Amino acid sequence: MTPDAQDSPSVGDEKLTVDLEFDLNGSPERHSVPTSTTVLDLLRNNCGKRGVRGSCERSVCGACTVLIDDVPVAACSTFAFEIDGTRVETVEGLAAKDGTLSAQQQAFRECGGFQCGFCTSGMLMMTTALLRENPEPDREEIREWISSNTCRCTGYEMILESVERAAQLGRTPQANGEPQ
Amino acid sequence: MRGQKLGAGLIAQNQSALPPFILYRPTSLPEAVDLNEQHPEAVMAAGCSDLVAQIREGYEPEVVISLQHVNELRSISHEDGVLSIGSMVTHHAGSTSPDIRAFMPALATAWGSIATVRIRYRGTLGGNLMARRFRYELPVILSALNGQMHFQASDVTTLPVSSLWDRDARSPGILTGVTVETGSLLWYGYERSMRPVSTVALAVRRQAGAGITVTAVCGSEYRQPFVLSHTAAATAISDLDPVAVGAVLASQLPDAAGDFTGTAEYRRHLVGVLSSRLLARAAGYQQK
Repeated sequence: MTPDAQDSPSVGDEKLTVDLEFDLNGSPERHSVPTSTTVLDLLRNNCGKRGVRGSCERSVCGACTVLIDDVPVAACSTFAFEIDGTRVETVEGLAAKDGTLSAQQQAFRECGGFQCGFCTSGMLMMTTALLRENPEPDREEIREWISSNTCRCTGYEMILESVERAAQLGRTPQANGEPQ
Repeated sequence: MRGQKLGAGLIAQNQSALPPFILYRPTSLPEAVDLNEQHPEAVMAAGCSDLVAQIREGYEPEVVISLQHVNELRSISHEDGVLSIGSMVTHHAGSTSPDIRAFMPALATAWGSIATVRIRYRGTLGGNLMARRFRYELPVILSALNGQMHFQASDVTTLPVSSLWDRDARSPGILTGVTVETGSLLWYGYERSMRPVSTVALAVRRQAGAGITVTAVCGSEYRQPFVLSHTAAATAISDLDPVAVGAVLASQLPDAAGDFTGTAEYRRHLVGVLSSRLLARAAGYQQK
């Protein structure tokens, strides 16, 4: 039974479910889920986006970072009802349909911006949001943004280099055109 | 979560354990007020970062009213020497607001220093205050400025931000915003370099008759903020002795400010150091 197919709980005449419509990585999505469903649950269990990682579940570690209308958000601490009518982006939407990596993904691969990879999807989404906000961030601004997320492997130096490289790649024509 | 609340001990985190609730999504303040009157037990949802955390900690709201689409709560204005900030203004919007940057740049700087980039995009003024968590910083930042909270029910109720912990958890209506009087404000600053042990927000105001009042608010992780105040017969900030005033403020900190992360005596020392540091900065720059 898929989560969408479960019985709708209710209290009296009040349904405890909410109907949602949103855009996910360029495709329309419609779901009916319990009101307490988080975006993390929705994206992983209902939409199959397993690149959205669950970890601290307190909005602290950033592994679950997704973009909602271009803004980085902790999917673990956002209710699904809040993304009704919005545009949601996950790490699965970064690469081009032909598999060409985005500038951020290329940069992280070039610079070794990950080891175990658990935090990487969140780091990539923070990088995407940062470079949309400012295509030419300095090291201090990159540090400020990336400090929102936790990496237990790299010591951050190579992540900072990856973001700088992504900004550099973004300023040159890329197959995927991201970031712009 | 519910299992933990029932004393089940350490259990695997399972988001499906979050209890569902009746959800209302009003699109105007009158509609939200009406819903709140129909459901006085309802909890208001702003950015939801803290509400999700509370539910994971065992809170089980039966009714949630989301203020996400009540756009009139997102306004910021400065008129007649009063800065008004709507309760749904996010930390990001507040700290980058042209009005706040123009009339109270130090408040914008302080606001932009809390949490992380991602949380600042999501967290709101109202959520930060009404969560009533000791460790959250806007109660400290705004109490020093003598910020006033405005609640809308059938009537409007106004309460100082510093009174957040003076009453039970039930709010007298929907928090619509906070106002700060800027006309008499000479200087404002916030020190969080010793967080989470101690933070200090400090405001210097000119008194209506004569003299200058220094208000410092001491925040920490596990104790509610304490408001400390000193009025001196001075005409300019540069007339104040930062170390002496810092010592007077620190001496007002009660023994209740101490906890296992720092004794009251240690916190008094920190408040003295941080307050005098802020006052020295104030005397040097004389800006709001």
